[in-house]
Amino acid sequence: MNAFIDFITGPMVWISFLIFFAGVFIRVFRLAQEANSKEKFMFSYFSWKYSLRSIFAWLVPFLPASTRQSPVFWGISYLFHLLLFMVPIFLLSHIVLLEESLGWSWISLNDSIADVLTVLVILALVFFAVRRLNVPEVKFLTRSSDYLFILIVALPFLTGFLAYHQFFFYRTMVIIHILTGELMLILIPFTRFFHMFLAPISRAYTGSEFGNVRQARDW
Amino acid sequence: MKTKLLLIIMGFILLLGAIGAYSQDEEIVVMDTSAFENTQRPASVFDHDIHNEMAGLEDDCAICHHVYDGKTLVEGESSEDSYCADCHSLSKTAENDVPLRAAYHKRCKSCHFETNKGPVLCGECHKN
Repeated sequence: MNAFIDFITGPMVWISFLIFFAGVFIRVFRLAQEANSKEKFMFSYFSWKYSLRSIFAWLVPFLPASTRQSPVFWGISYLFHLLLFMVPIFLLSHIVLLEESLGWSWISLNDSIADVLTVLVILALVFFAVRRLNVPEVKFLTRSSDYLFILIVALPFLTGFLAYHQFFFYRTMVIIHILTGELMLILIPFTRFFHMFLAPISRAYTGSEFGNVRQARDW
Repeated sequence: MKTKLLLIIMGFILLLGAIGAYSQDEEIVVMDTSAFENTQRPASVFDHDIHNEMAGLEDDCAICHHVYDGKTLVEGESSEDSYCADCHSLSKTAENDVPLRAAYHKRCKSCHFETNKGPVLCGECHKN
C-alpha cells in the first residue's frame, strides 16, 4: 500500500500538473486560433489597459453593480473562490510535502483556522447545490453534470476535513483526498472548471469592447 | 479502628502506585519536540526499541543517527550522542539545507516507502 501512496503523492502529482498545463495551453491556443479565423475584427480593438481594468474591477467584491443586486450569492461566491485557492495553497500539510520533495516552503495557515475555512468551503458548495435546485432561473440552466462538478470540488475538502480529524478510515480518507484533488486539477482544462481561464478572457474581450468602442465601463 | 483505617488508606495508596507502575508499560512513547516552536500536530508516536526490533535495526544505528560532512555521508560513524536539532536547525542554513521538520519526515518516510512498511501519512504518526 505504501508503494501506491508513494505513486499518488509523487509521480501522479507531476502527471496531473502536466495534463493541467498542457490542457490549458491547448485550449487557450485553440480559442485564439478560432477567434482569429472567425472574429478577427476583435483584435483591432483589443486593449491591455481596458482588459486589465475590467478583470481588476470584477475581482473587487461588490464593485460591479450587478453583484450588489444579489449580495448573498456574490458574497458567498467571492469568499468561496478565495478560499478554494487559499486553503490548499497555505495548508501546512501541503507545504510540508512540498518542503520534503522540492525544499520549498512558505507561510502557512494555522491548522485550526484552516479547519474552519474548510468547513466554510463545504458549506458554500452546499449553498451552490441548493441554489441550483431551488432558484428557477438557475435550475433552468442546470444539467446533472453540474452537481457532479460540485461533488468533485467538495470531495477533496470533505475528505481532507475527515482525515485531519482522524475520525474513521484514515488511510482511505487520505487516498480519496489525494486522488480527487488530482482529478480536479486534471479536469480543469476539459470541463466547466475552465472558467478559471475563460472568465478573465471574456472579461478582457468585454472590457476591450466597452472601453475602446463604446467608451463605457463594463461593471 | 484508627489503625484499620490507616491500613485501608495505605492499601489504596499501594494499589494506586501499582496501577501507575503497571500502566507505564502501556504509556504511549512520543518524540521529543522541544526543539520546535509553535507545533501544530501532536508529537509522533515512536517507541525507539520496539521500532528497531521490528525493523531489524538493532546494530545499524547510523541509518538514522548519521554523520554528514557537508553533503557527504561519513561512512562508519554514528551520532547517537547528539540531538537531531544539533545539526538540523528550524530553517535552512548554509551548513545544512535540510531543516529539522523535513529531516524527521524524510528520515522516517523514505525508509517506510523503500521497505513498503510503516506509517507514511500525516495522521499515522501524528495521532490525535
